[in-house]
Amino acid sequence: MERNEAIEILAEGRGDAVSVVTMQSVYPWHQAGQGEIFHVDASQCMGSASSIGLGLAVARPDKKVMVLDGDGSLLMQLGSLVTIAGQSPANLYHFVFANGLHQSTGNQPLPAIGQFDWVALAKGAGYADALRIEAAEDLLERLPGIFAMTGPVLIELTIEREDREPLWAGVPMAKQTALLKEQLAASS
Amino acid sequence: MTEAKPVAVGVEASAIVSELRGLGVDHVICIPDSYQKTLIAALRDDPSIRFITACTEDEAMGINAGLYMGGKNPMLVIQNNGIFASINTIKAIPLDARIPTFVFVGQYQRDPMVPIEESRSRAVRMVEPTLDVWGVPHWRLEGPDDIGNIRAAYERAHETMGPAALIVGAPTL
Repeated sequence: MERNEAIEILAEGRGDAVSVVTMQSVYPWHQAGQGEIFHVDASQCMGSASSIGLGLAVARPDKKVMVLDGDGSLLMQLGSLVTIAGQSPANLYHFVFANGLHQSTGNQPLPAIGQFDWVALAKGAGYADALRIEAAEDLLERLPGIFAMTGPVLIELTIEREDREPLWAGVPMAKQTALLKEQLAASS
Repeated sequence: MTEAKPVAVGVEASAIVSELRGLGVDHVICIPDSYQKTLIAALRDDPSIRFITACTEDEAMGINAGLYMGGKNPMLVIQNNGIFASINTIKAIPLDARIPTFVFVGQYQRDPMVPIEESRSRAVRMVEPTLDVWGVPHWRLEGPDDIGNIRAAYERAHETMGPAALIVGAPTL
């Protein structure tokens, strides 16, 4: 599926979930109007989205937390799968946009593409469940069921290669963190 | 002949935990450290604290940020090598994203008989200069008289919305 198709479906199905988004999903997430409420970008800290999501999920078990990660990004802190599994956050939904590329730096291929398996890695790390979705229509159909699952769940989204310059939302993370803290405090 | 005195002596873990309770710390994210073994054991056993073991210091700082935004009062327990390992994340999360990040840093491989500046361990010698380069304030815990530095570091982290470190210079007791 195309990244923007996945973003539109996730934005539509998000409800009041807290979102943590990184790398090349940040710009389209903001363009889809999802950057103002219950949201933080993981900026300039490639690999940290999953850990930030874990902290939010532990702090607020009453809220669903969705992480929109990249495959190259998650590889940079792959151990976070095990750390997350160790805490068993039932409210954490970890979407991995898997295009096999470091898109932000010019579409360089990831190591061992076609050899490693996100679903197997997540299950092997101890996630409650993991699944792969390749087509946008399948994501649309399955998303409500995914949010009904007990986390942590990893959802690998097979994303097509995009040949374009990287895009960034340009919103300072400090502004977002203060706003998210305030919004979460007001919603308790 | 007089016996040489140590430069740093250990502090009772119970005294440290008492200070942390007084500060309202409710979550500890830890990358294990041999200099804080007794402290880690005490924190793990404390029913008022949720203890989270992470795989790396990068993760620990991300988890700390999420907990903080979610309304919790977390801290990190790591060792000196973890500072070197996580500089990019220190830049991005505690500093740029302005997240209070209160960190205990154990001086792994420090000989408490020797001043930090004269240590044979590069990690021991370089951790404070590294923090200085990045503008991360730090205090030392070299013995029971320094217990007040725990609060000083905690308050600085929250006042400045950034990182602050307590350098644990001898194995906790």
